[in-house]
Order: sequence, then C-alpha cells, then structure tokens
Amino acid sequence: MGWWRRICVRVMCAVLPAGKETPGVDPQCCDELCERIRREAPLLLRMTMHASVALFVVCPLVTVGRPCPALWLSAENLDRHAAGMARHPSYLLRQAMMMLKTVAGMSWGTDPGVRRSLGMEPYAADPRGWRRS
Amino acid sequence: MIAPGTHLAFQTGAPVELEADYVVVGSGAGGAAAAATLVRAGRSVCVVERGPWRDPQHYPLSVYGAMRDLWSDWGTLFARGRSMIPILQASCVGGTTVINSAIVVRTPPAVLAEWAELGLGEVFSEAAVGAEQEALERELGVTRMHGRQLMEHSEALLRALRSRGLEGHALDRSARDCIGSGQCLQGCREGAKTSTNLCWVPEVITRGGTVLSCAPVGRVTIERGRAVGVSGRFVHPAPRRGERRRGARFSVRARRGVLLAASATGSAPLLERSGVRSAALGRGWRGQPGAAMIGVYPHEVRMERGTTQGAASLAYRSEGFKLESLSLPLELLAARVGGAGHRYARALEEAPRMAMWVAAVRAQAQGVVRAGRFGQPVVRYAPSRADTERLRAGLGRLARLHFDAGAEKVLPGIHGVAPELGPDELGALESAPLDNRCYTWVLSHLFGGCVMGKDPRRSVVAPDLHVRGVRGLHVVDAACLPTTLGVNPQHTIMAVARIIAARVVNEENVA
Repeated sequence: MGWWRRICVRVMCAVLPAGKETPGVDPQCCDELCERIRREAPLLLRMTMHASVALFVVCPLVTVGRPCPALWLSAENLDRHAAGMARHPSYLLRQAMMMLKTVAGMSWGTDPGVRRSLGMEPYAADPRGWRRS
Repeated sequence: MIAPGTHLAFQTGAPVELEADYVVVGSGAGGAAAAATLVRAGRSVCVVERGPWRDPQHYPLSVYGAMRDLWSDWGTLFARGRSMIPILQASCVGGTTVINSAIVVRTPPAVLAEWAELGLGEVFSEAAVGAEQEALERELGVTRMHGRQLMEHSEALLRALRSRGLEGHALDRSARDCIGSGQCLQGCREGAKTSTNLCWVPEVITRGGTVLSCAPVGRVTIERGRAVGVSGRFVHPAPRRGERRRGARFSVRARRGVLLAASATGSAPLLERSGVRSAALGRGWRGQPGAAMIGVYPHEVRMERGTTQGAASLAYRSEGFKLESLSLPLELLAARVGGAGHRYARALEEAPRMAMWVAAVRAQAQGVVRAGRFGQPVVRYAPSRADTERLRAGLGRLARLHFDAGAEKVLPGIHGVAPELGPDELGALESAPLDNRCYTWVLSHLFGGCVMGKDPRRSVVAPDLHVRGVRGLHVVDAACLPTTLGVNPQHTIMAVARIIAARVVNEENVA
C-alpha cells in the first residue's frame, strides 16, 4: 500500500469507525475498494475522492482549532474533526465529507462482517458481464 | 452486410454502416416504446444505445457495481447551481427503466390541460393519453403491490396516512412477479421488473430490427434540412489495462426519420452537437427533486426487505409535493445518515430499525442543459426558494407521519437542524433554513431541454411533433415534455413516445 493510499484508508476509517457492536470500515476492504476505484472509476470521481481526502487531512484548524494534519490528531480530536467537518458551515467541506461517506459507506456496506452484524445477507461477487452479440 | 434482427455490441476495425427506415437513439422508456411501435407497424428500425446490454444475470448486487455497470457516468452527473444535486440515470440498454422502481402513474388531467394551453391538446388529449396508458398497463402487466412486496417499510407509511385520514395507496408497478428483494436501484436480478431491455428491445430484434449497444451517438446527420441518420463511435464498457476504449466508427442511415430518446440530459446536447440552432434548445429543463426523512422505530423495519418503493401519497399534490416510501441499500444509507465519527457509527447500527420516506417536489425552477466539453452534459439548475419551502413542508409532514407510525425519533438530514429529533421537537423543522444547500437533494425525475409547444421562442419541437427547422427529426423522451408532472414520469414518457411514433407512421402513410 502506497503512502497516499494509507492516508485514504485511515481517513475512511476515521469517518466511519466501529460502533458499539458493529465493525467500522475494514482497512483491508477499504484498500481493495480504493484499488478498484483507481483502476475502474472515471477521472472525475477519482479526483473528487482524493481532493476530499486532502481536505479532510488539512482542515483540522477550522474544525477543532488544531493547526496540524488530521492524522496527527489524538483519537478523540480526530473523531471531533470528522463530526465537525460533517456539520461545518462551509458547503465545500460538507460536500467533501459526503464524498468520503459515500466511499466509506461502499466499503462498509459491502463488508460481510458488517452485513452479518446487522442481520443482512452478505453480497455475492458482482458478475460484471454484458451481452457481446 | 448485417442481417436483420441483429444485436451489435462493441466493435473494432472497419466502420459499421447500416440503414433502416427509422433510427431511434436511446432504448429507455421513450426510445424502446417508440421503436416497438414502429416495428409493429412494419417499419425497419435501428435502435442505437450508448450503454451496454446487460441481462438480469449480469446485474450487480453492490452499489459500487451498480455505479460502475449501470448508472450514467458512475452517478457523477450533477445539477450545478447554488447546490450540487446528484442526477440518477442509467446508461445501458433499457435506460433508466433498469434501475427505477417501475412505478406506473397515469398523467394527471391537470397536466394535460397545461399542455393543451401550449398548443398540444389535439395530440395529447386526455382520451388519447388515457387509451395509450390503458394499453400499456395491460401489455406490461401492471399490478398493485401487496403483501410480501410491501413489508413493514411501506405498510407503516400507509398506516400513518390512514390514521390521519389522508390519501395513501400501494403503488402500481410494472413488476408483476416482484418478490420484494429491494434491489431496484441495482437492477432486478429476478427479472421481475418489466424494464425495456426485457420486453420491447428484444421485440425489436424479433421483428427484424437492429440494436447497437455500447454506441454513443456523436451527432445526428442533417442534410438539406432533413435528418438522414446518426453517427458515432463504439465505446468499450469495461476495458482492461492496455485494451482500447474506443472502437470502430458507426453510421446508420435513416430512410424516413430519426427519433431521439437520449434522455432529458442527453437529447438537447446531442441536437446542439448536431448543429440544430434554437433559442429554446437546452432550456426549460426541469425536475422533481426530493429528499428523505428517516424514522427510527423501536422494532425492526428491515427496509431492505420488500419492494424498493411500495407506497405513496398524493394527498399534498396541491401543495406541490408527493410522498413515497423508498428503501436504500446499506451503502447509500451510510451516505444519507448525518454526521461522521463514532456518533454516526452508532446511528448506523440502527439501520435495521430505520424506514426512509421521501418527499419529491413538483419544482417550479427551470434550468439549462448544454453539451459539455468532455462529452458529459452540463446541467445548470437550482431549486428555487419556493421549491425549498415545499420540500421543507414535505419533510415536516413525513416526520409527523413517522411518529404516527410509531417511530422513536427521526433523522432529518438537514444542515442547521439537530441530527435527531423526537416527537416534541418537530418545531425545528418548521424553522429549518431555506437555503437549498442545507438539504440532501436527489434528482431522478427529469424533463425538458427540447420541449414541445407552439411558441418558437420557447419550444424546440413544434405541435406537429417535428424538431423546428429539421424534417424527419423527432424527440420522444422526457426531454420533450413541456412541464413537470408531479407524479412518476415513466408511464407518461412511454405513452407520449408511442403517440408520437404512431403519428410519424400515420403521416408517412398519408404522404
């Protein structure tokens, strides 16, 4: 995993951590999703995701008043930062958080462990076929 | 030479050249309905579809798979205005009928009266549209949802509406054998939904027509004021590393005419790229944007069980919004629930006890759709303050209905309002901000861009159903509808497309 990918995964884990009885974003699943996005998704979606991760990393000053990258924050402040970004007056920051939640949600919602813990059937693999003729 | 009754997917090598009486661009509700009408009248038809042809066994299960394989541009098309509103459409054979809830609602008479004022009363009379919709209902096997199809998620909405003495009904859908798998957004893997890739597009082939898939049309060829065909280039739907995305060029010659059904975001940009000049082109773009109110119940609701949309109410139609149940897959629910971090994660643990209902606004706002520089259309649109007021009112009604149905709390998802509200805190919704950036809007019912009408300054299509200034060119999808409907549009789009196609054949017979 490259350094930027590690940052992306850590950000997703901070956005959607474990609940009381439900696992949070699994770093392995999230890394696999990021890799699929890198290989398959259009440029616009990739750029938006990376820009949202970058915003999350650089803006703790405006959410928790700490002038440092988000991933240097204590666990408690990181959680406050994530929550603060989701309800921030800036529409740009809220939209960036929406993007992060969409990606984190796709990783979390397809994780068989999460689905089992919520009493849902795990997904089978997506088939990805199409009519050739 | 290509034999009649052929489907051609992605091609490489020499250009593909075809000829047919009519070329239909797009295979969704409008395109497929028009194509089926034309082949039944004995005309040769070539349907040209931008996306690939996927059968139910190819449909994905996950939302990621649906974004990649079915949704237009991975769901990255947004209406840009003061806020960014995602537009949900599909790009595949069958178009958006593959991923919608197949809801069937007849065109309200009040809407047809509005159209009559625009000079369309002769063609789209109440009798003509009603007869067409009745025929469609028989053909598509429309049934009212019941029992296992509804489940608690929709039953609770109906119960709450009844308790207040409000109109509410189980939805009529063209999904006769629906088993309530809650997978409409990812395509029905059971094949229960009568999407057009399962009925009319195969019929076109059976009756000797041709279907091109993975074939985005670049432009309509217009010679001496007449549409004579379309051209473009095949695009691979899932190229592997090192594989070329762009394939062979194609051109289809139309002996009699071209019918456009490239969607409300696609038809106007295609005409623009083809050199059609009209002050009204791309204008009059409208939508029925909506947002959701989630209720959290003391018991399990399991909105993933039952049909994606099972119940609705038109009780507030005069106030400009309608209410519907709508279930979301877990991945999308995670994006909709407000917040981030540990508190948000704990809120998501309540997913099995959540029911989501939506208010969709018959918006007054109008926008513009244009051809973008990189192929994707550019939509400029923002709900007006009055539209936002309607949405706020709709969300307030939904919150009350949730509590009537026994919810413990609601999750409004409105910036500036607490993330959770109890039954005694609903006053917060009445004073919620009216800035449209504070709401989580979604646009799925789209109209306009090439609207019909008698005023040449405001309409692209004349009352005789031709694109002004171009003979043999017609628009047969939501792009030509001159107003919003206030109800789900699929049934209207299909009826309008069939009426236009039948008139095209009639005109030709007279000529």
